[in-house]
Amino acid sequence: MAPLKIVLRDLKRMVRNPVRTALLFSLPLMLAGIFSLVFGGGAASEISIRVLVYDEDQSLISRLLGGAGSSPELDRRLDLVPVGEEGFEMMERGEASALVHFPAGFTQNYLDGEPAVISIVKNPAERFLPQVIEEGGRIGAEVLSQGSRVFRTELETIGAMTANTAFPSDLAVGSVASGVNHKLQSLERWVFPPVINLETTTVTPDTADVEEAGGSSILGYFLPGLSMMGILFLAQSATRDILHDRESGLVRHLLTAPVSPVDYIFGKCISVLVVSTLGFFFLIAFGIAAGVNWGPATTTIALVLAASLAASGALVLISSLVGAERQADALSTIVIMVWCLIGGAFVPISQFPDFLRPLAKTTPVFWAVDGFQKAMQPGADVAAVSTNLMVLGGAGVIFLGLGAVALRRRMAGGHI
Amino acid sequence: MITIEGLRKHYGDIKAVDGIDLEIQDGEIFGLLGPNGAGKTTTISMISGVLRPDSGRITFDGMNIWVEPKKVKRNLGVVPQEIAVYEDLTAKDNLDFWGSLHGLRGPGLKSAVHAALERVGLEDRAKDRVKVFSGGMKRRLNLCMGLLHRPKYLLLDEPTVGIDPQARLAILDIVREVAAAGTTVLYTTHYMEEAQDLCDRIAIIDHGQILTIGTLEALTRQSGESEVLKVVGNFDEAAANQRLSGLSGLRLIRVEAGTVLAGIDATGPGLLEILPQVLGSGLSIDDVSIQKPNLQSVFISLTGRELRD
Repeated sequence: MAPLKIVLRDLKRMVRNPVRTALLFSLPLMLAGIFSLVFGGGAASEISIRVLVYDEDQSLISRLLGGAGSSPELDRRLDLVPVGEEGFEMMERGEASALVHFPAGFTQNYLDGEPAVISIVKNPAERFLPQVIEEGGRIGAEVLSQGSRVFRTELETIGAMTANTAFPSDLAVGSVASGVNHKLQSLERWVFPPVINLETTTVTPDTADVEEAGGSSILGYFLPGLSMMGILFLAQSATRDILHDRESGLVRHLLTAPVSPVDYIFGKCISVLVVSTLGFFFLIAFGIAAGVNWGPATTTIALVLAASLAASGALVLISSLVGAERQADALSTIVIMVWCLIGGAFVPISQFPDFLRPLAKTTPVFWAVDGFQKAMQPGADVAAVSTNLMVLGGAGVIFLGLGAVALRRRMAGGHI
Repeated sequence: MITIEGLRKHYGDIKAVDGIDLEIQDGEIFGLLGPNGAGKTTTISMISGVLRPDSGRITFDGMNIWVEPKKVKRNLGVVPQEIAVYEDLTAKDNLDFWGSLHGLRGPGLKSAVHAALERVGLEDRAKDRVKVFSGGMKRRLNLCMGLLHRPKYLLLDEPTVGIDPQARLAILDIVREVAAAGTTVLYTTHYMEEAQDLCDRIAIIDHGQILTIGTLEALTRQSGESEVLKVVGNFDEAAANQRLSGLSGLRLIRVEAGTVLAGIDATGPGLLEILPQVLGSGLSIDDVSIQKPNLQSVFISLTGRELRD
């Protein structure tokens, strides 16, 4: 069967060119490694944010806030480093993602109901991690501000107690506790649900769930998108052969054998698909070896097949629309990079401006990345990514079909 | 037998092939001789079933290649003008792939690959990647791929372009051997010497049309000239035309400033009478060369141009 022989020949060519093949596969791996190093400080490490804490206040509240990372979960996420004034110089040297500064008198101002300021100095060389700290600080400040308003009476009493050198009486402490308890009970209906939600979703996620999902590592976050990019480039390389074969006279020669144009096109399409799929599985295996949990095997396999089909189809279609290898290279590189940029391979879609988000959904990269990220969530199964599978698979079949028809028409027109 | 009737291929207004009729007998080496751009490659592309003709019919022993392509192609070997091999594969890989496309497998494929490599002298380079081969070696491998499945018909499209004389001779020897074993060969070239040395019959093609067909002897006789004179000197075109055109038995083939090509009529007065008249014509002549009519002179007499123009 001629198409199968063409596929086997193409695979043999990959084996005979180990350096070229390794380079193709290494591109997404290198990018993933670089992303991990830039954002996480280790190839497959979990997100760990180094934060300098400059506590001039040295009070109960500032120490409580500054010691947030002492909980077991946050301790893994935050590397809190107590510093003095030298912290500002450390920030200038880019030695941490952010510096949190509690100025002298912070607690007293807070208890007195005066404006109290927490300063956050961000590392301009980093984008996301300082933002995490800023958002965290903003939430903390909001909670404290609301607390200050609700518990104003009790806070003033506590302020008076702390100002007094004598130990407060049981009655005074009990009075404050009773007041706090009474207000909490009356506010329970409105205050607790959002606070609890906030803590469970953004501050203290269940450790077991996060580890099972495998999504807490930088590599796990970026590898799906970068893998998709790598597969698109792999498919680009495989489809380049179609044009190279045409330009070098190999197609003309091949058609002098008992091989029809349809055999050749079918063989090349299958070949591109097989190469892309193998490449994707290689990247999946690399991710697993590096500690990334892709989710259930069946879901991952289905996504790999659908994403590879979409990538292969898209590149076959592009190569069928242009006349020369160099044109195809230029056009497909532009398409791949645009898809990766707006599809969320490099930057999370949530960071995009509103007008760009719907555009992301026009790219196979988005559906692949979204699918893999869904699959990484605890309890995800094939049904959870069914839309992604349908979009990727459907697009792949349509692209491949159109590409094959366009190639056939070109060959029939003498462009061989 | 390969039969070609009324073959035409146009690209817009350009008539690449304009009504070709040929019959190539079994076991014959048939040459298609013409300058670059004459339509040789387009013709061979249509005959080999790669390029669909606008009109015309091509049959191999009565089987139309455009009606029963796979059946015909099993007996067809084609050696293209381009070196159409996979450079990142070894010579053996290329032949294994090519043989498998022609239905060879197992021990049959292995022995065919070995025999083909041996025939072209590449047996000791079987496991080398083609990218390290010289141009001549690649050409030989190209030829090898056309011969691998022992085809009944072999089409060669300028298989010796760009290689050294030694490699060219080796390829011509192989073609002779193949033809001697009964294979029908269609050989296109723009090298007059190759066509003269190799082919049983030759068709001269120009601007997509066959100008003449015949054996070398018949073609040279057909020109009606016993000798061809090339006169070189210091004269202009008008003077040469004026002084030489009236000489009996001399046919001016091409006249340019400083060069005149002229044929001596086989039925006229003859060289010994005409040569003194040319030398005494009053033209400032530096050199006169005399040659027997060959394909070059036949081509010139038919087109007014040299074969390599």
